[in-house]
Amino acid sequence: MQGVMFIVLALVTLFSALMVITRKDPVSSILYLVLTFFCFAGFYVLLGAQFLAAVQIIVYAGAIAVLFLFVVMMLNLREPEAEEGKELIPIWKPLGYAVGIGVGIVFLSYLASSPGPAIPPLNGGDEIYAMGRADFLGKALFTDFILPFEIAGVLLLAAVLGAVALAKKKRV
Amino acid sequence: MTPNDFLPVLITFFVVGGFAGITLIATHILGPKRYSKEKHDIYECGLDYIGDSRKPFSVKFYLVAVLFVIFDLEVVFMYPWAVNFRHLGLFGFVSMGIFLVILTVGLLYEWKKGALEWE
Amino acid sequence: MELTLNHYLILSAIIFAIGVTGVLTRRNVLIILMSVELMLNSANMTLIAFSHYLQNIDGMVFVFFTMTVAAAEVGIGLAIVVTMFRNKGTIDVGNFNLLKG
Repeated sequence: MQGVMFIVLALVTLFSALMVITRKDPVSSILYLVLTFFCFAGFYVLLGAQFLAAVQIIVYAGAIAVLFLFVVMMLNLREPEAEEGKELIPIWKPLGYAVGIGVGIVFLSYLASSPGPAIPPLNGGDEIYAMGRADFLGKALFTDFILPFEIAGVLLLAAVLGAVALAKKKRV
Repeated sequence: MTPNDFLPVLITFFVVGGFAGITLIATHILGPKRYSKEKHDIYECGLDYIGDSRKPFSVKFYLVAVLFVIFDLEVVFMYPWAVNFRHLGLFGFVSMGIFLVILTVGLLYEWKKGALEWE
Repeated sequence: MELTLNHYLILSAIIFAIGVTGVLTRRNVLIILMSVELMLNSANMTLIAFSHYLQNIDGMVFVFFTMTVAAAEVGIGLAIVVTMFRNKGTIDVGNFNLLKG
Protein backbone atom coordinates (compact mmCIF):
# COMPACT_ATOMS: atom_id res chain seq x y z
CA MET A 1 0.00 0.00 0.00
CA GLN A 2 2.67 2.51 1.04
CA GLY A 3 4.94 1.37 -1.78
CA VAL A 4 2.17 2.00 -4.29
CA MET A 5 1.47 5.40 -2.75
CA PHE A 6 5.16 6.27 -2.95
CA ILE A 7 5.41 5.31 -6.62
CA VAL A 8 2.29 7.30 -7.58
CA LEU A 9 3.36 10.35 -5.57
CA ALA A 10 6.90 10.15 -6.95
CA LEU A 11 5.69 10.08 -10.55
CA VAL A 12 3.33 13.03 -9.98
CA THR A 13 6.08 14.96 -8.17
CA LEU A 14 8.66 14.42 -10.90
CA PHE A 15 6.18 15.35 -13.62
CA SER A 16 5.04 18.54 -11.89
CA ALA A 17 8.60 19.55 -10.91
CA LEU A 18 9.63 19.23 -14.56
CA MET A 19 6.57 21.26 -15.56
CA VAL A 20 7.56 24.01 -13.10
CA ILE A 21 10.88 24.60 -14.83
CA THR A 22 9.65 24.18 -18.41
CA ARG A 23 6.43 26.22 -18.63
CA LYS A 24 6.65 29.55 -20.42
CA ASP A 25 3.76 31.10 -18.50
CA PRO A 26 4.65 31.78 -14.84
CA VAL A 27 1.05 31.20 -13.73
CA SER A 28 1.04 27.57 -14.86
CA SER A 29 4.48 27.15 -13.27
CA ILE A 30 3.00 28.32 -9.98
CA LEU A 31 0.05 25.94 -10.22
CA TYR A 32 2.39 23.01 -10.87
CA LEU A 33 4.51 24.20 -7.96
CA VAL A 34 1.42 23.97 -5.72
CA LEU A 35 0.85 20.40 -6.96
CA THR A 36 4.47 19.60 -6.09
CA PHE A 37 4.01 21.01 -2.58
CA PHE A 38 0.94 18.83 -2.04
CA CYS A 39 2.90 15.76 -3.16
CA PHE A 40 5.66 16.63 -0.71
CA ALA A 41 3.04 16.79 2.04
CA GLY A 42 2.07 13.26 1.00
CA PHE A 43 5.66 12.07 1.38
CA TYR A 44 5.84 13.67 4.82
CA VAL A 45 2.76 11.70 5.86
CA LEU A 46 4.41 8.50 4.59
CA LEU A 47 7.48 9.38 6.67
CA GLY A 48 5.39 9.93 9.79
CA ALA A 49 5.78 13.71 9.90
CA GLN A 50 2.06 14.44 10.08
CA PHE A 51 2.34 17.88 11.62
CA LEU A 52 4.96 18.94 9.10
CA ALA A 53 2.69 17.74 6.30
CA ALA A 54 -0.01 20.11 7.55
CA VAL A 55 2.56 22.89 7.94
CA GLN A 56 3.80 22.23 4.41
CA ILE A 57 0.33 22.83 3.03
CA ILE A 58 -0.33 25.86 5.25
CA VAL A 59 2.99 27.60 4.60
CA TYR A 60 3.98 26.58 1.09
CA ALA A 61 0.72 25.95 -0.72
CA GLY A 62 -1.19 28.49 1.37
CA ALA A 63 1.19 31.40 1.75
CA ILE A 64 4.23 31.18 -0.51
CA ALA A 65 2.32 30.18 -3.65
CA VAL A 66 -0.13 33.04 -3.00
CA LEU A 67 2.80 35.45 -2.76
CA PHE A 68 4.10 34.25 -6.14
CA LEU A 69 0.65 34.62 -7.70
CA PHE A 70 0.28 38.14 -6.31
CA VAL A 71 3.57 39.17 -7.87
CA VAL A 72 2.59 37.70 -11.24
CA MET A 73 -0.69 39.61 -11.11
CA MET A 74 1.15 42.75 -10.08
CA LEU A 75 3.73 42.68 -12.83
CA ASN A 76 1.24 42.40 -15.69
CA LEU A 77 3.36 40.13 -17.86
CA ARG A 78 1.15 40.14 -20.86
CA GLU A 79 3.44 38.27 -23.21
CA PRO A 80 5.88 35.56 -22.09
CA GLU A 81 9.36 37.06 -22.13
CA ALA A 82 11.74 36.22 -24.93
CA GLU A 83 14.00 33.42 -23.84
CA GLU A 84 16.66 34.01 -26.46
CA GLY A 85 19.24 36.65 -27.17
CA LYS A 86 21.44 38.82 -24.99
CA GLU A 87 23.08 35.84 -23.32
CA LEU A 88 26.25 36.56 -21.41
CA ILE A 89 27.63 33.23 -22.58
CA PRO A 90 26.31 31.94 -25.93
CA ILE A 91 26.00 28.31 -24.86
CA TRP A 92 24.33 29.30 -21.60
CA LYS A 93 21.33 27.01 -21.82
CA PRO A 94 23.03 23.74 -22.85
CA LEU A 95 25.64 24.46 -20.19
CA GLY A 96 22.90 24.88 -17.59
CA TYR A 97 21.24 21.62 -18.60
CA ALA A 98 24.59 19.85 -18.52
CA VAL A 99 25.39 21.12 -15.03
CA GLY A 100 21.93 20.22 -13.73
CA ILE A 101 22.05 16.72 -15.15
CA GLY A 102 25.62 16.39 -13.89
CA VAL A 103 24.54 17.26 -10.35
CA GLY A 104 21.82 14.63 -10.60
CA ILE A 105 24.25 12.00 -11.88
CA VAL A 106 26.75 12.72 -9.10
CA PHE A 107 24.08 12.33 -6.41
CA LEU A 108 22.58 9.23 -7.96
CA SER A 109 25.91 7.51 -8.57
CA TYR A 110 26.83 8.08 -4.93
CA LEU A 111 23.49 6.73 -3.75
CA ALA A 112 23.74 3.75 -6.08
CA SER A 113 27.35 2.94 -5.16
CA SER A 114 26.65 2.72 -1.44
CA PRO A 115 24.84 -0.50 -0.62
CA GLY A 116 22.11 1.38 1.20
CA PRO A 117 21.53 1.13 4.92
CA ALA A 118 19.60 -1.60 6.56
CA ILE A 119 16.21 -0.04 6.86
CA PRO A 120 14.31 0.35 10.09
CA PRO A 121 10.63 -0.41 9.82
CA LEU A 122 9.39 2.40 7.61
CA ASN A 123 6.16 0.40 7.74
CA GLY A 124 6.34 0.11 11.49
CA GLY A 125 3.69 0.44 14.16
CA ASP A 126 2.17 3.34 16.02
CA GLU A 127 5.17 4.25 18.17
CA ILE A 128 7.45 4.63 15.12
CA TYR A 129 5.14 7.28 13.74
CA ALA A 130 4.43 9.11 17.02
CA MET A 131 7.52 11.29 16.54
CA GLY A 132 5.95 13.63 14.02
CA ARG A 133 3.16 14.76 16.32
CA ALA A 134 2.95 18.43 17.24
CA ASP A 135 3.52 17.85 20.97
CA PHE A 136 6.76 15.88 20.43
CA LEU A 137 8.00 18.51 18.00
CA GLY A 138 7.13 21.24 20.47
CA LYS A 139 9.03 19.55 23.30
CA ALA A 140 12.16 19.41 21.14
CA LEU A 141 11.67 22.88 19.69
CA PHE A 142 11.23 24.61 23.05
CA THR A 143 14.04 22.85 24.89
CA ASP A 144 17.02 22.06 22.64
CA PHE A 145 16.20 24.56 19.90
CA ILE A 146 15.09 27.61 21.84
CA LEU A 147 17.88 29.87 20.53
CA PRO A 148 17.33 28.98 16.85
CA PHE A 149 13.65 29.61 17.49
CA GLU A 150 14.27 33.17 18.65
CA ILE A 151 16.70 33.71 15.79
CA ALA A 152 13.95 32.56 13.41
CA GLY A 153 11.86 35.38 14.88
CA VAL A 154 14.63 37.86 14.08
CA LEU A 155 14.82 36.45 10.54
CA LEU A 156 11.09 36.97 10.05
CA LEU A 157 11.46 40.52 11.39
CA ALA A 158 14.22 41.14 8.85
CA ALA A 159 11.95 39.78 6.12
CA VAL A 160 9.15 42.20 7.05
CA LEU A 161 11.51 45.17 7.25
CA GLY A 162 13.19 44.30 3.96
CA ALA A 163 9.95 43.73 2.09
CA VAL A 164 8.44 47.02 3.31
CA ALA A 165 11.60 49.00 2.62
CA LEU A 166 11.94 47.56 -0.88
CA ALA A 167 8.38 47.40 -2.11
CA LYS A 168 6.78 50.45 -0.52
CA LYS A 169 6.56 53.46 -2.78
CA LYS A 170 8.26 56.52 -1.41
CA ARG A 171 5.92 59.20 -0.11
CA VAL A 172 6.08 62.33 -2.25
CA MET B 1 -1.28 7.61 13.78
CA THR B 2 0.30 5.61 11.00
CA PRO B 3 0.11 6.69 7.34
CA ASN B 4 -2.72 4.19 6.89
CA ASP B 5 -4.89 6.34 9.16
CA PHE B 6 -4.69 9.08 6.53
CA LEU B 7 -6.71 7.04 4.07
CA PRO B 8 -9.85 9.18 4.71
CA VAL B 9 -7.86 12.28 3.74
CA LEU B 10 -6.84 10.59 0.50
CA ILE B 11 -10.42 9.55 -0.18
CA THR B 12 -11.57 13.12 0.42
CA PHE B 13 -8.98 14.36 -2.08
CA PHE B 14 -10.21 11.92 -4.68
CA VAL B 15 -13.88 12.70 -4.03
CA VAL B 16 -13.31 16.45 -4.27
CA GLY B 17 -11.10 16.21 -7.33
CA GLY B 18 -13.40 13.66 -8.92
CA PHE B 19 -16.45 15.81 -8.31
CA ALA B 20 -14.80 18.84 -9.87
CA GLY B 21 -13.48 16.85 -12.81
CA ILE B 22 -16.70 14.95 -13.47
CA THR B 23 -18.73 18.16 -13.27
CA LEU B 24 -16.48 19.85 -15.80
CA ILE B 25 -16.54 16.91 -18.19
CA ALA B 26 -20.28 16.31 -17.76
CA THR B 27 -21.23 19.91 -18.49
CA HIS B 28 -18.95 19.81 -21.49
CA ILE B 29 -20.62 16.71 -22.87
CA LEU B 30 -24.22 17.20 -21.75
CA GLY B 31 -24.73 20.95 -21.98
CA PRO B 32 -26.23 22.42 -25.14
CA LYS B 33 -23.84 24.72 -26.99
CA ARG B 34 -25.52 27.80 -28.44
CA TYR B 35 -22.97 30.58 -28.64
CA SER B 36 -23.84 34.21 -29.02
CA LYS B 37 -22.18 37.48 -28.14
CA GLU B 38 -23.89 37.54 -24.76
CA LYS B 39 -22.75 33.99 -24.00
CA HIS B 40 -19.13 35.01 -24.37
CA ASP B 41 -19.47 37.87 -21.93
CA ILE B 42 -18.14 37.38 -18.43
CA TYR B 43 -21.49 38.22 -16.84
CA GLU B 44 -24.33 37.08 -19.00
CA CYS B 45 -26.89 39.21 -17.16
CA GLY B 46 -24.89 41.88 -15.47
CA LEU B 47 -22.59 44.78 -15.92
CA ASP B 48 -20.63 45.20 -19.11
CA TYR B 49 -16.99 44.46 -18.42
CA ILE B 50 -14.15 46.92 -18.81
CA GLY B 51 -10.79 45.77 -20.18
CA ASP B 52 -9.46 42.31 -19.33
CA SER B 53 -8.56 40.57 -16.09
CA ARG B 54 -4.80 41.06 -16.34
CA LYS B 55 -4.73 44.56 -14.92
CA PRO B 56 -1.70 45.16 -12.73
CA PHE B 57 -2.45 45.03 -9.03
CA SER B 58 -1.33 47.69 -6.63
CA VAL B 59 1.84 46.85 -4.74
CA LYS B 60 -0.08 47.37 -1.46
CA PHE B 61 -1.49 43.86 -1.91
CA TYR B 62 2.06 42.53 -1.88
CA LEU B 63 2.81 44.18 1.46
CA VAL B 64 -0.34 42.67 2.95
CA ALA B 65 0.61 39.27 1.51
CA VAL B 66 4.09 39.45 3.05
CA LEU B 67 2.51 40.27 6.38
CA PHE B 68 0.24 37.26 5.92
CA VAL B 69 3.20 34.96 5.23
CA ILE B 70 5.07 36.17 8.30
CA PHE B 71 2.14 35.72 10.65
CA ASP B 72 1.36 32.37 9.05
CA LEU B 73 4.84 31.26 10.10
CA GLU B 74 4.22 32.68 13.56
CA VAL B 75 1.06 30.60 13.94
CA VAL B 76 2.96 27.52 12.76
CA PHE B 77 5.45 28.07 15.57
CA MET B 78 2.64 28.62 18.06
CA TYR B 79 0.92 25.25 17.46
CA PRO B 80 3.68 23.10 19.00
CA TRP B 81 3.99 25.64 21.80
CA ALA B 82 0.26 25.63 22.58
CA VAL B 83 -0.07 21.85 22.88
CA ASN B 84 2.87 21.86 25.31
CA PHE B 85 1.84 24.95 27.23
CA ARG B 86 1.49 23.26 30.64
CA HIS B 87 4.57 21.12 30.14
CA LEU B 88 6.79 24.08 29.24
CA GLY B 89 5.56 26.38 32.01
CA LEU B 90 6.92 29.87 32.54
CA PHE B 91 10.03 29.25 30.41
CA GLY B 92 7.98 28.49 27.33
CA PHE B 93 5.70 31.43 28.04
CA VAL B 94 8.59 33.87 28.25
CA SER B 95 10.37 32.54 25.19
CA MET B 96 7.19 32.74 23.12
CA GLY B 97 6.68 36.25 24.53
CA ILE B 98 10.09 37.32 23.25
CA PHE B 99 9.30 35.80 19.84
CA LEU B 100 6.00 37.67 19.67
CA VAL B 101 7.61 40.96 20.70
CA ILE B 102 10.21 40.59 17.93
CA LEU B 103 7.50 40.04 15.33
CA THR B 104 5.34 42.85 16.70
CA VAL B 105 8.24 45.23 16.06
CA GLY B 106 7.93 44.33 12.38
CA LEU B 107 4.19 44.96 12.43
CA LEU B 108 4.69 48.34 14.13
CA TYR B 109 7.33 49.28 11.54
CA GLU B 110 4.98 48.46 8.70
CA TRP B 111 2.20 50.40 10.42
CA LYS B 112 4.36 53.48 11.05
CA LYS B 113 5.67 53.46 7.47
CA GLY B 114 2.07 53.67 6.33
CA ALA B 115 2.23 50.36 4.45
CA LEU B 116 -1.11 49.34 5.93
CA GLU B 117 -2.96 52.51 4.94
CA TRP B 118 -5.18 52.13 1.91
CA GLU B 119 -5.49 55.84 1.08
CA MET C 1 7.25 -3.25 -2.22
CA GLU C 2 9.29 -2.44 0.84
CA LEU C 3 10.23 1.24 1.03
CA THR C 4 13.80 2.04 1.94
CA LEU C 5 15.66 5.19 2.88
CA ASN C 6 17.31 5.22 -0.54
CA HIS C 7 13.96 5.63 -2.27
CA TYR C 8 13.46 8.97 -0.59
CA LEU C 9 17.08 10.05 -1.02
CA ILE C 10 17.06 9.26 -4.74
CA LEU C 11 13.78 11.06 -5.27
CA SER C 12 14.97 14.18 -3.46
CA ALA C 13 18.28 14.05 -5.37
CA ILE C 14 16.39 14.05 -8.66
CA ILE C 15 14.17 16.94 -7.58
CA PHE C 16 17.20 18.88 -6.37
CA ALA C 17 18.81 18.36 -9.79
CA ILE C 18 15.61 19.58 -11.46
CA GLY C 19 15.78 22.70 -9.28
CA VAL C 20 19.43 23.30 -10.21
CA THR C 21 18.56 22.93 -13.88
CA GLY C 22 15.71 25.41 -13.50
CA VAL C 23 17.93 27.99 -11.81
CA LEU C 24 20.62 27.67 -14.47
CA THR C 25 18.50 27.60 -17.60
CA ARG C 26 15.53 29.89 -17.02
CA ARG C 27 15.68 33.65 -17.44
CA ASN C 28 12.46 34.57 -15.67
CA VAL C 29 13.28 35.58 -12.09
CA LEU C 30 10.00 34.20 -10.77
CA ILE C 31 10.72 30.74 -12.14
CA ILE C 32 14.26 30.89 -10.78
CA LEU C 33 12.82 31.59 -7.32
CA MET C 34 10.37 28.69 -7.76
CA SER C 35 13.27 26.38 -8.63
CA VAL C 36 14.99 27.48 -5.42
CA GLU C 37 11.81 26.49 -3.58
CA LEU C 38 12.00 23.06 -5.20
CA MET C 39 15.58 22.66 -3.99
CA LEU C 40 14.67 23.71 -0.44
CA ASN C 41 11.78 21.25 -0.45
CA SER C 42 13.96 18.37 -1.57
CA ALA C 43 16.41 19.20 1.22
CA ASN C 44 13.48 19.18 3.65
CA MET C 45 12.46 15.74 2.48
CA THR C 46 15.98 14.45 3.02
CA LEU C 47 15.96 15.83 6.55
CA ILE C 48 12.63 14.20 7.35
CA ALA C 49 13.65 10.89 5.78
CA PHE C 50 16.82 10.75 7.87
CA SER C 51 14.92 11.87 10.93
CA HIS C 52 12.49 8.99 10.47
CA TYR C 53 15.30 6.56 9.66
CA LEU C 54 17.37 7.45 12.73
CA GLN C 55 14.29 7.92 14.95
CA ASN C 56 15.73 11.27 15.98
CA ILE C 57 13.50 14.32 16.02
CA ASP C 58 16.18 16.95 15.33
CA GLY C 59 15.77 16.70 11.55
CA MET C 60 12.06 17.40 11.77
CA VAL C 61 12.63 20.44 13.99
CA PHE C 62 15.17 21.68 11.50
CA VAL C 63 12.53 21.59 8.78
CA PHE C 64 10.70 24.35 10.67
CA PHE C 65 13.70 26.59 10.32
CA THR C 66 14.12 25.72 6.65
CA MET C 67 10.52 26.75 6.10
CA THR C 68 11.15 30.02 7.93
CA VAL C 69 14.17 30.70 5.75
CA ALA C 70 12.14 29.84 2.63
CA ALA C 71 9.36 32.25 3.61
CA ALA C 72 11.80 35.06 4.37
CA GLU C 73 13.70 34.38 1.14
CA VAL C 74 10.54 34.51 -0.95
CA GLY C 75 9.30 37.66 0.79
CA ILE C 76 12.54 39.56 0.19
CA GLY C 77 13.21 38.00 -3.22
CA LEU C 78 9.84 38.93 -4.62
CA ALA C 79 10.13 42.44 -3.17
CA ILE C 80 13.39 42.75 -5.10
CA VAL C 81 11.64 41.45 -8.23
CA VAL C 82 8.90 44.06 -7.82
CA THR C 83 11.48 46.81 -7.38
CA MET C 84 13.50 45.67 -10.40
CA PHE C 85 10.34 45.52 -12.49
CA ARG C 86 9.49 49.05 -11.42
CA ASN C 87 12.92 50.30 -12.46
CA LYS C 88 13.49 48.28 -15.64
CA GLY C 89 10.06 47.11 -16.80
CA THR C 90 11.19 43.49 -17.17
CA ILE C 91 11.95 40.47 -15.04
CA ASP C 92 14.35 38.82 -17.46
CA VAL C 93 17.64 38.24 -15.63
CA GLY C 94 19.56 39.01 -18.84
CA ASN C 95 18.63 42.66 -18.41
CA PHE C 96 19.85 42.93 -14.83
CA ASN C 97 23.42 43.75 -15.77
CA LEU C 98 24.12 47.03 -13.97
CA LEU C 99 27.06 45.47 -12.15
CA LYS C 100 28.65 44.21 -15.36
CA GLY C 101 32.04 45.89 -15.73
